[in-house]
Amino acid sequence: MASNYPPPFDDPVEVREGFLCPLCLKDLQSFYQLQSHYEEEHSSEDRDVKGQLRNLVQKAKKAKKKLLKREGDDRTDTGAQERYESFSYGGVDPYMWEPQELGAMRSHLSDFKKHRAARIDHYVVEVNKLIIRLEKLTSFDRTNTESAKIRAIEKSVVPWVNDQDVPFCPDCGNKFSIRNRRHHCRLCGSIMCKKCMELVSLPLASKLTSASKEALASHTSPNSSPNSIHGSRRGSISSVSSVSSVLDEKDDDRIRCCRHCKDTLLKREQQIDEKEYTPDIVKLYEKLRLCMEKVDQKAPEYIKMAESLNVGETTYNLEHANDLRVEVQKVYELIDALSKKILTLGLNEEPQPHPKTLQLQRMIRYSATLFVQEKLLGLMSLPTKDKYEELKEKRKQEMDRKLHMERQATLETQRRLEEKQKDLVSRSTAAPNGEVPYPKRGTVKKSEGWLPTSSLPRQREIADPLLQQIDNITSFIKQAKAANRLDEVRMLQENLRQLQDEYDQQQTLKAIELSKRQAEEEEMQREQLQVLREKEWEREQHKAMSQHSRTRSLDFREVKQHQHESGKENLNQIAQSLDLDTTQMKSSPSSKTPSPDAVQKQVPKENSVFPIKPREGPQYIRETDQNQTLLLNPFEDEADTSQVEDPANTLARDSSQVVSLPTKALHSDKKEYNPFEDDEEDQQTNGATVYAPNPFEDNGNSFQKSVNDQNSGNPFEGLSSTNPFEVDDNEISGEDIIEEELLLQQIDNIKAYIFDAKHSGRMDEVEVLTENLKELKRTLAKQKEKSKC
Amino acid sequence: MNVVFAVKQYVSKMIEDSGPGMKVLLMDKETTSIVSMVYTQSEILQKEVYLFERIDSLNRETMKHLKAICFLRPTKENVEYLIQELRRPKYSIYYIYFSNVISKSDVKSLAEADEQEVVAEIQEFYGDYIAVNPHVFSLNLLGCCQGRSWDLAQLSRTAQGLTALLLSLKKCPMIRYQLSSDPAKRLAECVKQVITKEYELFDFRRTEVPPLLLILDRSDDAITPLLNQWTYQAMVHELLGINNNRIDLSRVPGISKDLREVVLSAENDEFYANNMYLNFAEIGSNIKNLMEDFQRRKPKEQQKLESIADMKAFVENYPQFKKMSGTVSKHVTVVGELSRLASERNLLEVSEVEQELACQNDHSSAHQNVRRLLQNPKVTEFDAARLVMLYALHYERHSSNSLPGLMMDLKNKGVSEKYRKLVSAVVEYGGKRVRGSDLFSPKDAVAITKQFLKGLKGVENVYTQHQPFLHETLDQLIKGKLKDGQYPYLGPSTLRDRDSVTLWGAIAAQNPGSLGML
Repeated sequence: MASNYPPPFDDPVEVREGFLCPLCLKDLQSFYQLQSHYEEEHSSEDRDVKGQLRNLVQKAKKAKKKLLKREGDDRTDTGAQERYESFSYGGVDPYMWEPQELGAMRSHLSDFKKHRAARIDHYVVEVNKLIIRLEKLTSFDRTNTESAKIRAIEKSVVPWVNDQDVPFCPDCGNKFSIRNRRHHCRLCGSIMCKKCMELVSLPLASKLTSASKEALASHTSPNSSPNSIHGSRRGSISSVSSVSSVLDEKDDDRIRCCRHCKDTLLKREQQIDEKEYTPDIVKLYEKLRLCMEKVDQKAPEYIKMAESLNVGETTYNLEHANDLRVEVQKVYELIDALSKKILTLGLNEEPQPHPKTLQLQRMIRYSATLFVQEKLLGLMSLPTKDKYEELKEKRKQEMDRKLHMERQATLETQRRLEEKQKDLVSRSTAAPNGEVPYPKRGTVKKSEGWLPTSSLPRQREIADPLLQQIDNITSFIKQAKAANRLDEVRMLQENLRQLQDEYDQQQTLKAIELSKRQAEEEEMQREQLQVLREKEWEREQHKAMSQHSRTRSLDFREVKQHQHESGKENLNQIAQSLDLDTTQMKSSPSSKTPSPDAVQKQVPKENSVFPIKPREGPQYIRETDQNQTLLLNPFEDEADTSQVEDPANTLARDSSQVVSLPTKALHSDKKEYNPFEDDEEDQQTNGATVYAPNPFEDNGNSFQKSVNDQNSGNPFEGLSSTNPFEVDDNEISGEDIIEEELLLQQIDNIKAYIFDAKHSGRMDEVEVLTENLKELKRTLAKQKEKSKC
Repeated sequence: MNVVFAVKQYVSKMIEDSGPGMKVLLMDKETTSIVSMVYTQSEILQKEVYLFERIDSLNRETMKHLKAICFLRPTKENVEYLIQELRRPKYSIYYIYFSNVISKSDVKSLAEADEQEVVAEIQEFYGDYIAVNPHVFSLNLLGCCQGRSWDLAQLSRTAQGLTALLLSLKKCPMIRYQLSSDPAKRLAECVKQVITKEYELFDFRRTEVPPLLLILDRSDDAITPLLNQWTYQAMVHELLGINNNRIDLSRVPGISKDLREVVLSAENDEFYANNMYLNFAEIGSNIKNLMEDFQRRKPKEQQKLESIADMKAFVENYPQFKKMSGTVSKHVTVVGELSRLASERNLLEVSEVEQELACQNDHSSAHQNVRRLLQNPKVTEFDAARLVMLYALHYERHSSNSLPGLMMDLKNKGVSEKYRKLVSAVVEYGGKRVRGSDLFSPKDAVAITKQFLKGLKGVENVYTQHQPFLHETLDQLIKGKLKDGQYPYLGPSTLRDRDSVTLWGAIAAQNPGSLGML
């Protein structure tokens, strides 16, 4: 309702009061006259002006209706297109339902405003009148003007009530006499006694008048929003004391007024104070929001860059991306710091802030943490400079390779056909790409019998193009390993994994088909021949397949899942086993033929290289185990046992003399110095299996039994496929050379996690993480020492 | 027609309209549960809503730097509270939303209280019901009838809830109700009345086939709620109890502190969303897969993260891992508890007999089985009483009805008076005299052949052979075969075409909780 103010005080001397038209300054006697004047004279004028005076215009019925309608329409348009984000429900899919718009709504704002305006307008007009009069009263130099002149001016501002009309003080009821003299309110002209008189000091007056000028200015500016009207009407009680302290001053410095006017002015003052006062939390919060917006802008940009760089593309500049990363990280730090500051606001003050204030601060902090958690942890790392060069190189090679791939694939098939006709042993040596034959090969024969039930070879016969690809890649991996290019190896393995996944899926389908037929004798023989040519990873594959054929009869659904999972695992294992080969070769270059004995000798060697590890290991594990959340894994113990005992694991049995022998040796060897394994199992059976669903298992069984036509397989059967190689992981990975920079980066990340975990009070995780961090730091130190040497 | 989405949209809109800045959400008791069903705390925090206050709470501090979003039911008390609030505003600016129609006079008294002009918005947003699932809502009313007639306060609340539902979905439906039920008729009339009164609000775009609101009475099928269910959500609700998506697990033996109370919400729990309607056996295998998946992602402590690859994998998987570990532990606990209860209470056997009572007509075998189970010490009082209730409902008028004998058995078993009384109460509530339709013996030829064929094929699953009566009703409705005699239209209806659009939500939510009404 600020628009009831007259136009800006361009010339303070010529202040006019009343219902002035804001456009032509014509004085109109009443509100309604002004309204009709405005409609008649200015309705065709510029829209902008109309917008500024929206509140006024709104009073005019016609215009009001128009405006409101427009508002309402806009609102329904924006909300309607929101997308529904939810998961699909089992059996019920909300996506299938017709698109849904925002539900009906009805606004009472116009009614509300009408009722409110009736009450408020009166008040606003009153306040404004007072302030304009105050302005006039203080617009001249009071101290240097004669009191008679002052009185004349004062009288001109507002007509004074006639003395005779008021025999008693309207406030306290005392009779006026010569002693109890009448005093006039300079602001409204009413009469009261001295006791009831109030005084307005000049500083207060100037504060009020200048503030309303500002308010007016802001309201007539085209950007003024309806909210700012409300903003100008807050109140606190802070300034009362300052006013009363000047009461004893000379009358010249003060303006007499009645209680009523004074109250109104004080209220106004409160509002002005509130408007100008922004609490610390708001300032900090605004900064926080700015930072968050910045992150929202920059993070996607960075992620795009990092993704591209990590693949080895040259679209973006590595340094530029690094700068951006640092920048984003800094913003995160800032967010963290700001939210922490908000959290601790006023904590050291006496008295303590209201619990709700503290709650607000906590919630802001919490949401900031959530924000950082979500975004920062999604921030991937960049390759180091050297690594980037490698990546680029690799990508190039990869592209070339892809070109060659198809050609090679065709060559492969030809070669394969030829090979079939050759003698077994000689064939196995003729690996693709002229690979150096494995001296070990000769012993492979002994494992001939390990595939009797598998139906896999049929598929091998068909010579799936996927398999050829996989073959190729494995051979690449070997070459790369020979060349000691570990990074390449890793990438190729990734490739291999993808292929393998694809292959697994195919296999599942085929396996299901096949299971319906009898495996023929002939095929089995062929199979056995075929086997001799298989490399290690293929053997893994077989194992997976044999497992599938076991489960196949039970339930097809299950098979699918298992195959998928175990397939993946196999790949990891394959990779590991391959790793094993190379590391063995690396560490004992003299004996290129790692016989079981050689490996066994090797293990102690390894131990001496990393003496810290075994010593720390058990302790660390025990600690984490105890702190493990109860149900980390109810199924784990089952997995553990099957790892060793799975009777169907023909590979473990038959190939004991061949490839897996060294690893078995490793395995047992490890057991000797690694007591924590037993420890862990004990722990799990004792403590960690609170939720081990034994009762559930029984139940599931009985339930399924009675449900005749449900899957007959026990859902808890057929745990993840197992592999004797798995355990060896530690030894091998320990030999990887860790790049310093990456280490540092990871340390940073871990720190972030620790912070996060601490914050949300997951102490067990904190411990695990801290342990990791220590480990990392130690490795880093080691690294540094090494590089110094 | 997704009720969760409808309410969520309303809430989002409220928050959006208030613009940027710190906000407080001011609610009453009911709207608090309405909002909490569709928004999680972290979700709403992201929209800068940091405080959640009850309008009736006295312990609120003046915080002029906050914007207040008020979402309230338009009750007398709330309006009074709001008037007090506006006289002495604690926040800088108020955006007021009522969850239902508010009277003009209330608006006026609010306006007059707003001397400081702190109100920036006052609207009606019709989110006046608790959205449980996209197709199910509830009003969380207990005991809405006394005998056979409505408690008047509850009737008006139910009518308000239904009209709010219609408005939030923007539907102006035809109304049908169950003729045999007087409460259904009264409710239908109430809803109709509101629609007529607020015809401006209900002026939606006309569709070719008008939507239909079908009002049913739970007493028409007292059987279904007495049966043990075997799908995930239903089991949790039956055995543990779901209250506004919250599950109280504090009675579970050896429960850890974090899991005393868990939230199961399909909105932000993918596993739950995918499994809530699957049967128990399927959940068993799914949870196993979840575990395996989890195991794979779990950072392996043994590995000690020595290689970069390990580190990378660990770091990248960590956030997912954390999220997953929460889900895994929650579901493993819940499913574990369900299975514990199922075996402790011998539910498989109980359920088998329940299904026999509900679906077959062999009196002597049913009687024998019930008696046998009543002897079983593992069967709880509650389940025992339910078995007898089912028996009483099914063989109410059977020539060799031996209910008194069973009642004696109950007494001998030591079942408390409270439960034994329920048996006669349930017969009175949903017995033959009350039912508008026959639950047990099919009437027409089609239904008889259907049942005969079913008998030939054998049952697929003994625990889930019973199909709720609602299924049949809706089936007939969709096929346009629902008889006007039994489910008449309210008022003169010219359009008697096939009604393919139905407010499923309304149907499913009617007369919640038969046991609660006893």
